[in-house]
Amino acid sequence: MAQTNRVSYLDLIKNGIFKENTIFKLALSLCPSIAVTNNLRNGVLMGIAVLFVQVMVNTTISSMRNFIHPRIRLPIFMLIISGWVTVTDMTMAAFAREAYKQMGLYIQLIVAFASILARAEMFASKNKIAPSMFDGIGMGLGFLFALTIISFFRELLGKGSLWGFPIINAKPLLIMILPAGGFFAVGILMGFFNWMSMRKETKNH
Amino acid sequence: MTGKDIVKITLNLVVVYLIGGLILAVVYARTSPIMFKNAIIEKEAALKKLMPDADKIEKMGDWYIHEKHSEYFVAKKGDNIIGYIVQSFGKGYSSYIDTLIAVDNDFRVQRINILGHAETPGLGDEIEADNFINQFKGKDMEHLKVLKTDTTEYIQAISGATISSRAVAEDAVKNGVDFLIKAIKERGAKHGADKQS
Repeated sequence: MAQTNRVSYLDLIKNGIFKENTIFKLALSLCPSIAVTNNLRNGVLMGIAVLFVQVMVNTTISSMRNFIHPRIRLPIFMLIISGWVTVTDMTMAAFAREAYKQMGLYIQLIVAFASILARAEMFASKNKIAPSMFDGIGMGLGFLFALTIISFFRELLGKGSLWGFPIINAKPLLIMILPAGGFFAVGILMGFFNWMSMRKETKNH
Repeated sequence: MTGKDIVKITLNLVVVYLIGGLILAVVYARTSPIMFKNAIIEKEAALKKLMPDADKIEKMGDWYIHEKHSEYFVAKKGDNIIGYIVQSFGKGYSSYIDTLIAVDNDFRVQRINILGHAETPGLGDEIEADNFINQFKGKDMEHLKVLKTDTTEYIQAISGATISSRAVAEDAVKNGVDFLIKAIKERGAKHGADKQS
């Protein structure tokens, strides 16, 4: 990761969205990606919340990286993460009440996201502020992208609607909005994206 | 670990806690009034929506269901009582469902409104949907029963969410109306007795 000085910011963002996509490639944070993605609105809002937390955490930790004592870096990281999550939690409770009622619990659970702590430890604590911020944006966008696409298919197939508006006047596959359907959706999409990148690789060779 | 390390670690924690606490305090100070205001507005709007004809909704008292605090209200138009509103809870699949029920003077349900719950998203939360809630209009005590078949006489369960449907119809609404009937009758009896004496 030390060579990142030579990598452009755009590459950092792309890396988070495609090459190291939290859900489809690293298979981290699967719990929320199944729990909140049975409708598009919740999926998108959760993605935005994670994007915000990831960027803020990366920036904060990166700016303090020379100040934090290595022995207590994990407790400090957790403190910073939970601080920013609480900020997000309170803001959503005040300004997005309807969505908050449905997903309040999962917002607080962002604290325990492996992906956020992993980026803090692997990237932000070793890099300068700007690359860390862009890494956060990339990882957050990747997560948002994954949640959007999962919740898009789950709501469309399970409820026949999108963002709460009816599209098909039926529930084609009720199981898609149940937890089991979440596993199906994540599994199939993960397979699809891996197949895509495999095809790309074989073409390049 | 040297003494220097200990000092640095302590300093680390103190600074991070202080800054974090400060940021949280500022955000809380900004958002909590909005949350508080929203909760009040939401409740008032919910009451108003239940009894659109009423121009005054007054609290009558408190009661408890599933050991939860609830309230009941009388709705007036001018000086005439046009109905009552009672708050009630039903034990659902994964939560207690907070419900407001409006009844007319004959204790027939006029409207209900789900204030809060944590039922399964995508299934149980259909109890908030209009086509479930609208079924309650005109139902009296005898007809507050959930059936899994097509029905207009009784309440038709949401497919995949029978427990949540039952919790609303047979627990929250039925017990709420039952309580209301008793409470109003008792009050009326007392009132009558006062008048006689």
